[in-house]
Amino acid sequence: MSALDFNSVNIGDVLPSKTLAVTQELINAYADLSGDYNSIHVDVEGMKNNPMFGGSTIAHGTINVEPLLQAICAIQGTLWPLEGTKIDLQFRAPVKPGYVISSELTVKEKKTEGGKKILVCDMKIKNNDGSPCVLGTVDLVLP
Amino acid sequence: MEQRFNKSLVTSFGPSQMLPDLKFAEMTPGWDCGGGTYKITREEVEKFAKLMGDTNPGEVNVPVGMIYIFGLRICWDRKVFIDGAVRAGDKIVFYKPAKIGDTITTRLSIADKKEVKKEKDGKVRINKFLYVDMNATNQNNEKIVDIQMSFLLPPTMQ
Repeated sequence: MSALDFNSVNIGDVLPSKTLAVTQELINAYADLSGDYNSIHVDVEGMKNNPMFGGSTIAHGTINVEPLLQAICAIQGTLWPLEGTKIDLQFRAPVKPGYVISSELTVKEKKTEGGKKILVCDMKIKNNDGSPCVLGTVDLVLP
Repeated sequence: MEQRFNKSLVTSFGPSQMLPDLKFAEMTPGWDCGGGTYKITREEVEKFAKLMGDTNPGEVNVPVGMIYIFGLRICWDRKVFIDGAVRAGDKIVFYKPAKIGDTITTRLSIADKKEVKKEKDGKVRINKFLYVDMNATNQNNEKIVDIQMSFLLPPTMQ
């Protein structure tokens, strides 16, 4: 994996994104890995009678962040975000089985701090229709 | 659904009094919510990588999305997720990478709280927010990740 070159990035650039198809099978498997069996995620039958999310289950909010985490590593050319990388995010809308979500990072500032090269990015994780399920900012360290 | 979570990977510790036992006024910064440990096994890493389409976790590497796996069950065990509370957001800072074989210790504590006045249709409502720090370290006490979770507390919270 090769990292993005700090010098080649311009303000306003949209960085490479990652996508995740969310299914009930993925949500169930995530519950088995995390031990988070909240009924809003896994009780398909029970949620059919619950108007809260239109009769559907919703993904764990932490699943919604997954495309962003993968995108950060791909941009940095690493398997784990470089030390000092920061994310500030707000959950804005639920993600339901059947949605395909994708990350979007737009560079709004370039800076060097403590010897680290940092891209400050506006961040969005989008549902199929482009509406945000997660919004925020990322301080993305480059090597 | 049948629950297949491997409970042997997780321990939890902390005071007998938990967050839901507190009134909002008693939720003070630094209050210890307890914590726990999570053992990272190759089996769980491979399952996670396959699930999320991570094609190359490597011999020792842990997919970054597992930062939440380190703490979710512990948060439930320590009742950090209060009934009716809504996850509003996270602030995440990354440090050293986690590795297969690590035992991650997660410590949970109240970071802050605030009340936000909101007016809609001539009615005033006070939204109560709680911020909880989740600090994860490895067996060498090296920082792995800090996550500050924010919650919108239920209107019934006193």
